[in-house]
Amino acid sequence: MDPLRQDEFDSQACGSIAPKAKPCPRPKPGEAAGGCSFDGAQITLLPIMDAAHLVHGPIACAGNSWESRGTLSSGPSLSQYGFATDLTDSDIIFGGEKKLKDSIDYIAGRFAPPAIFVYSTCVTALIGQDMDAVCKEAADRIGIPVIPVNSPGFVGSKNLGNRLAGDALLQYVIGTGEPEPETDLGVNLIGEYNIAGEMWDIEKLMNSAGIAVTSRITGDARYKEITWAHRARVNMVVCSRALLGLAKEMESRYGIPYFEGSFYGAKETTYSLRQMAYLMNDREMERRVDRLTEREEARLSQELRPYRKLLRGKRAVLYTGGVKSWSVISALKELGVQVVGVGTNKSTEDDVRRIADRVGDDTEYIPEGGASRIIKTVRERKADIMIAGGRNMYVAMKEQIPFIDINQERHKAYAGYEGLLRLAKELTYSLANPIWKLAASPAPWDKEAPPYDR
Amino acid sequence: MTVNRRKKPASVNPMKIGQSLGAVLALQGCYRAMPLIHGSQGCSAFPKALLTRHFREPIAVQTSALQEMDVIFDANRNLEEALNLVLSKHRPDIIGIIGTELTDVAGVDYQNMLKTYKRERNMRGGLAFSVVLPDFRGSLESGFSSTVESMIDEMIQQVGHRGQRSMNTRQITLLPGSFLTPADVMELKELISSFGFEVIALPDISTSLSGHLLTGFSPLTRGGVPLDSMLQSLQSGLTIAVGGSMERPARRLHNAIGTPYKVFEGAMGLKATDELLHFLHQISGEPVPLRYCWQRENLLDSMLDAHFQFAGMSVLAALEPDHLYSVSGWLEELGVEQKALITSFETPLIAGMEREVWVGDLDDAEVLGKGADLWISNSHGIAGAQRIGAAFMPAGFPVWNELGAYMSVSVGYRGAMEWSNKAGNLLMQREADSRESSVRHR
Ligand code: SF4
Repeated sequence: MDPLRQDEFDSQACGSIAPKAKPCPRPKPGEAAGGCSFDGAQITLLPIMDAAHLVHGPIACAGNSWESRGTLSSGPSLSQYGFATDLTDSDIIFGGEKKLKDSIDYIAGRFAPPAIFVYSTCVTALIGQDMDAVCKEAADRIGIPVIPVNSPGFVGSKNLGNRLAGDALLQYVIGTGEPEPETDLGVNLIGEYNIAGEMWDIEKLMNSAGIAVTSRITGDARYKEITWAHRARVNMVVCSRALLGLAKEMESRYGIPYFEGSFYGAKETTYSLRQMAYLMNDREMERRVDRLTEREEARLSQELRPYRKLLRGKRAVLYTGGVKSWSVISALKELGVQVVGVGTNKSTEDDVRRIADRVGDDTEYIPEGGASRIIKTVRERKADIMIAGGRNMYVAMKEQIPFIDINQERHKAYAGYEGLLRLAKELTYSLANPIWKLAASPAPWDKEAPPYDR
Repeated sequence: MTVNRRKKPASVNPMKIGQSLGAVLALQGCYRAMPLIHGSQGCSAFPKALLTRHFREPIAVQTSALQEMDVIFDANRNLEEALNLVLSKHRPDIIGIIGTELTDVAGVDYQNMLKTYKRERNMRGGLAFSVVLPDFRGSLESGFSSTVESMIDEMIQQVGHRGQRSMNTRQITLLPGSFLTPADVMELKELISSFGFEVIALPDISTSLSGHLLTGFSPLTRGGVPLDSMLQSLQSGLTIAVGGSMERPARRLHNAIGTPYKVFEGAMGLKATDELLHFLHQISGEPVPLRYCWQRENLLDSMLDAHFQFAGMSVLAALEPDHLYSVSGWLEELGVEQKALITSFETPLIAGMEREVWVGDLDDAEVLGKGADLWISNSHGIAGAQRIGAAFMPAGFPVWNELGAYMSVSVGYRGAMEWSNKAGNLLMQREADSRESSVRHR
């Protein structure tokens, strides 16, 4: 493998548009949180549902991570299989390349996938396996694409892994296929992973405005559709700044215009749909989008009324990464929920600017991870609810703070108009649950006056 | 009898879990502890997420956050930094440094580094130890037991050899295996103490991962056996180990300070519980408490009630070695066919079993167990069970499709009864479902 991506180490970019922001900070030993680059690469590619995903390394990288994401499939489930070369001591000593080759052959023979993604991990990168060569040789031999994903955990954060996965798509997948002649070309959704089925809500909306989805990158995707992503007319980057590079590269290579958008909140959703139609340069479509969004917004505000009443003035602390840090703020604001604290840990300067546009002056920024910092903000700011990822869920439970899970592992879809309604409901259920009162009141015998000293 | 492996190059749907996760689990059972994984970020993030998902509790763990250049040049600089930070910020009583495959392959010598560190910092009062746990060997079970062994080693180093040991014959050290739930450990502690013994469980997840509402956030573990109790356990008159993998730590105590030990390899079912209670009765001279006599009858009665349900049924179980051994013993008593037994790696206990056991993954379970009526494994097995049409019973680690799985009891008469009822109910439900669908299809 190459002398590992020196450019990534010197990288100033870390995914922001203007590469002037702080470099990806080195994780602090003893205080680090979050996944590795291998994890990030998997997050991006696993939603390609019909492909096989083979992890090349000792068992833990695959064994501890498979089936941990809430990305849903409408059909094929091969990507939910956990494949690993499961290296042992002797494989390490003798190189493991033969085992990799045999594993690829075995998977191709038994499962006949349209493609196999092969992930390197720390150990296989360290011992200098020529994974690219093995993959190339295998692809020639078995006649299906075998794609090396060079994103071992120790090159950096999860975010970098997303980007490296994007690079792999650019290098090996996009542009290698052509759509059927009668295919209606439209928008690529980039960085939408169909967590809890959000992709389906979005696609339904787009379709009712007459906008076709060309390639889903990668929520509920099929391998084939990504090969023709270069034929789309517009790229929308949803919720993953790490894949912005992919959109930019596609713009310069194939001339596809892109925009960054989100589907959290009615306003953002409307904006995104409009933006698609605008970039498609289709007046008729724009009119259709206008009609649709007006209708949907009116219906939504009707349905939201009872919840808005309950949620008005409630205070929330939001702790999530990247784009969600600002897009969810819009959604909450529409519901009347005030964001009194927001995590900026994984945000670029652009994200922070967008956050600033959306919150009041008295919102506290939480720059660094650590559950204790979040809890402190909740307490000091008298927040009613904490909105964060699953990792912090049980920390909140211990402190008896109402909580909503907003990250990859969750089971509720919050995108689009439907999603906002769902979010309103979830917030209400969570805040109104009797458990908070029950847990806060002591047992009867603890309430009693102290017994007389006899 | 025989241990087999199916021939295939790749692992498909692995059931094996990285050893380091076992180490993190063991340390959750020690009060104010911090497991520190010497490796890259992901090696601690994955176990943390997985343990959180299973126990539905915050999990204490940290990492030395190695990046590529650190591995190549000086990995221990990161470790030192991590130690400095954790010690000064959180003052843990116990630190376990867990080496990974990465430090192993790179040949990082952190054991010596830790020794020097402790000498230079004049570290006293706490317990800091290291353990080598690359993921290309063993599984959760071996990671757990090796960690307990290293912990005991360090305890002995600290106090054991100095002076004479006063022995407390009314105190027993319990070494519970990795497959036991917090509720299991609690059940065992109650069982032993009902014969008049003091019990110190090492580690003790029953007081850390069983769910309590401690407020005041700390990144350290917030329950488990405290350090002074751990050190006091060196005075126990006896060690009881539950699970074959815990024999080595027990033996370590025996060799170093002469504590006799007794290993219970099986922990489930009538016979296994009989043995344990009989043993406790003999060494204590106390009668078996009445409630266990009642529970024994309850168990027998429920097995009688359920035996119609189990007649002619076949079961596959895919579990960690000790757990598989235990469960297999219980299945024996139910009189069901054990269609396939699959485990993650080979241990002496597994090699000595009278039944045929396969070392493999959940894909092997699917192939070998085709036609089974009941599938017992961790939650990764759900899809496989569906594909072969078996009822699915979650057990082992990780379980995420059932609330309170970590509080279910499998040991003692009560545990056997709970499991028998659960398995029976699942089979009954499956029968009802298939009846319904056959009616509809007609
Ligand atoms: S950090 Fe490396 S060894 Fe650890 S899980 Fe990630 S890829 Fe695997």
